[in-house]
Amino acid sequence: MKVSFPYMGTTVVYKKLLELLGHEVIVPPKPSQRTINLGVKYSPEFACFPLKVIMGSYIEAIEKGAEVIITSGGHGPCRAGFYEKVHSKILQAENHDVEFIVFDSMFRNFKGFFRNIYRIKQNNSWYKVSQSLLFVYNMIKKLDILEKEVETIRAYEIRKGETTRAWEKIQDLFDKASTKKELEGAFNKGTQLLREIKQEKVHDSNKIRIGIVGEIYVVMEASINMKIEEILGSLGAEVERSQYLSQWINYNVTPKFINRTHEMEILKKGEKYIPIPIGGHAKQTVGHIVDFNERGFDGVIHLMPFACLPELVSQSIIPKITEELGIPVLTLAIDEQAGTANSLTRIEAFLDLIQGKKSKKIS
Amino acid sequence: MKIGIPQSLLYEYYYLFWKTYFEELGFEVVTTPPTTKGIIDKGVKLSVPEICVPIKVYIGHVATLLEEDVDYIFVPRFVSIKKGQFFCPKFMGLPDMLRYSIEGIEEKLLMPSISTKSDNIAEAFKDPKLFQGKLNIGMKDNKRAVEKAEKIWLDFRTNSKKGYSCKEAAEITVGNVGKEECVPLNKEEVNLTIGLIGYVYNVYDAFISMDIVNKLRNMGVSIKTFEMLEDDEINKELKDMSKTLFWTFSDKLLAAGYHFYKNEEVDGLIHVTAFGCGPDSMLGKLLELDSPLYNKPFMTVRIDEHSGENHLQTRIEAFVDMLKRKKINVQRGA
Repeated sequence: MKVSFPYMGTTVVYKKLLELLGHEVIVPPKPSQRTINLGVKYSPEFACFPLKVIMGSYIEAIEKGAEVIITSGGHGPCRAGFYEKVHSKILQAENHDVEFIVFDSMFRNFKGFFRNIYRIKQNNSWYKVSQSLLFVYNMIKKLDILEKEVETIRAYEIRKGETTRAWEKIQDLFDKASTKKELEGAFNKGTQLLREIKQEKVHDSNKIRIGIVGEIYVVMEASINMKIEEILGSLGAEVERSQYLSQWINYNVTPKFINRTHEMEILKKGEKYIPIPIGGHAKQTVGHIVDFNERGFDGVIHLMPFACLPELVSQSIIPKITEELGIPVLTLAIDEQAGTANSLTRIEAFLDLIQGKKSKKIS
Repeated sequence: MKIGIPQSLLYEYYYLFWKTYFEELGFEVVTTPPTTKGIIDKGVKLSVPEICVPIKVYIGHVATLLEEDVDYIFVPRFVSIKKGQFFCPKFMGLPDMLRYSIEGIEEKLLMPSISTKSDNIAEAFKDPKLFQGKLNIGMKDNKRAVEKAEKIWLDFRTNSKKGYSCKEAAEITVGNVGKEECVPLNKEEVNLTIGLIGYVYNVYDAFISMDIVNKLRNMGVSIKTFEMLEDDEINKELKDMSKTLFWTFSDKLLAAGYHFYKNEEVDGLIHVTAFGCGPDSMLGKLLELDSPLYNKPFMTVRIDEHSGENHLQTRIEAFVDMLKRKKINVQRGA
């Protein structure tokens, strides 16, 4: 069974998990202009951008021979829970023969969830499965630690692009690791690689820190958000995202009554503006803006796919948050009309504004 | 005390309920006039540019009520009217969008959270804490008002299922108009029926949809819409699907679409959707992909705040002509 999955963020981890369970894994190519073009061609015009990119990436995976696609489901109110139905219908209409294994929330459909687990588990023992899950979870956690460091160091690197290259090397190292010891080795090597990067000395008061919030796919997938972290880094700003894979897993796997994860705190901070969860990451978005403000960040960039339902609500509320808390927020809607130069200018202007504000405060 | 209700979004579906309820409790109910260019413009100014036109229209209506002398504005937060399902996130965050984008509106807003098991929303109104202490309502009065409102709303739904448009069904229910004076939408003389798929706030808002209902009517075409179907007919279609849409009204539209595809009386489908409507982007594609399977024509009419009536006239005329020709050919055995 040749399996594939939607492309998002650090894909080595999904690949690793499936490989450990003995599947032949087809990693979809990193989303490129061709991916987007393919996706746009077959998707509904007003579908949100992630649906289109994933559509394109499925088609590319099928071209490479994928037979089964594993993805997550959902039950709304955001459109993402229905992606798979639309994707599979379109693929069917285009005569692509592929099967979907969809993981809906296990708290909602326990039976279906375990049927899927059995299919992916194959003949592996439960011990092996739990070991593999644990291994991959550790890997995600370690990768996230390093990525956070990358996002800080990038702002002060002396030779441009060095950090990004190191980060790619690190992902490669992790890809090759398949035992606990190798993982530890990869982590140590990665830490060392990052330590070797020569950095400018910048006084603490001159550091600029930017938070990135918004819809999970456009926040996590660099190839479709114009590599916003690299842009901000090259302009000398430290970056922290609202979403990291390890946090997402912690939050979604823990049952509600014992859930004490960071995300719960964030949700509480968003309560004032959006009292109930309205789907997607709208409530998290406003919560994170409040959180970034409390932690002394200088500004926030809010990313959303064009016409994303929940993020439109948060976008409507953001001006008021800025007014109340004083933290500048720049909203960028992302879709297939790239217009990178436009966004780049806006980001540069945004950072100039923040720098201006900062120097005024000091003098 | 005056309570303002914007004539937009789910107004057509629930207006009779809300009006009866508030009037029974001794409040005066003020509604906004039907949508005009001026109302839309107000909404456009107060909302983010990308949001769909029904929300812009709604915000415009709220802004209109603000200018009038009302004590409260009724902006319900629709969360769910079926177990396990939701509303579009924009409905769920609607009061939040309003209270954080219009200065000083918050104390004027009545924002009851509506979360029930069926589209009969009476259950939610039985809760005495619904209005967060903003209205002073006695338990006994509340019970009486809810019962009366529920009865009238159920009457309205019965009339609606007979084939009258939402507006006419409401008029008949309260007794303003006799049944003889209205012709049901599904009984015109020409032998052609179109399934009109669209939300009540798009289809029946004459400004947004450019009065597509009457345009079709004037061509002598019968119309069927989702709210004319019995609940059983809708549930029957949904039962066979492995996963349905999780927005209740979108789900109803999808089911209505498949019902019309299978119903021999219906000759073709028109899907009326607003620019940037998220749920519709999914259900429209599903219906479009299935149109060849049932061999029935399917057309999408996409509307936004830019009105241009002629193109719509031309398109529906062409669509109706095509359906007629198809029908004649079939009858001739061609």
